[in-house]
Amino acid sequence: MSPRWRRFRPGPDDSLVVSLAPEELSLLAGLPDVLRGVFDAPEGDAAGNRLFPQAQLEPTAEEAEEWRAMVHPDLLRQRLDALELLAASLARATENKEWREIALTPDDVQAWLGVLNDTRLVLGTRLGVTEEEREIDADDPDARAYAVYYWLSRLEGDLVEVLLG
Amino acid sequence: MTTAPVEIREPEIGEDTTSDRPWMVIVWNDPVNLMTYVVYVFQKLFGYSRAKATKLMRQVHEEGRAVVSDGTREKCEGDVARLHAHGLWATMEHDA
Repeated sequence: MSPRWRRFRPGPDDSLVVSLAPEELSLLAGLPDVLRGVFDAPEGDAAGNRLFPQAQLEPTAEEAEEWRAMVHPDLLRQRLDALELLAASLARATENKEWREIALTPDDVQAWLGVLNDTRLVLGTRLGVTEEEREIDADDPDARAYAVYYWLSRLEGDLVEVLLG
Repeated sequence: MTTAPVEIREPEIGEDTTSDRPWMVIVWNDPVNLMTYVVYVFQKLFGYSRAKATKLMRQVHEEGRAVVSDGTREKCEGDVARLHAHGLWATMEHDA
């Protein structure tokens, strides 16, 4: 009997080996550009506000500026570091039959988790997703974005399941 | 580990002394974050047990918000920033 296929499986030295189809790997390789676009968006962009929220529900302009000055540089640095770790890990992919495999270090895993979640926050904000899963017609202009969103949700869900043990 | 010495000084006239009152960190429900992810983040950031993290996640999901930590203003600012770094929608407010 062949072992059950798993998206993530334990590898040597605390690593986690991820298996991706080539087109899945290409999709992930495109995420850093999506997120950098949001990081560069002007203040007031809904997706940007979702990644870098305020610390109070209704801050004054002064409080908003103070919070942003205090935390934004660090949060941005962490997010840019995660994009670099993701890109570097994708570049290490090796072929195993029809799959591309990457051994992720614990730092890589945290970076992946952050990038997957941030991208879902951005897509979810732009699509206006709700807690109800939507049926999408193939000719819906948002069909592709929804497909990516749900695929990222499954990938992140699989990863969190492994992390929760 | 050691604790830093505490500098004691009298508040100046007109100075905001409310920062000594306890603050609370609140996480709000949102339609994107996975429930399992929220449990994972509560365990990772605050060291909560699976049971406590799950209870807080359910409270966020069902009641729309939950208090996940409290303390000084500085501590809560740090907690909010770490929650934001993990994509959770968190704010802080004074303990009433």
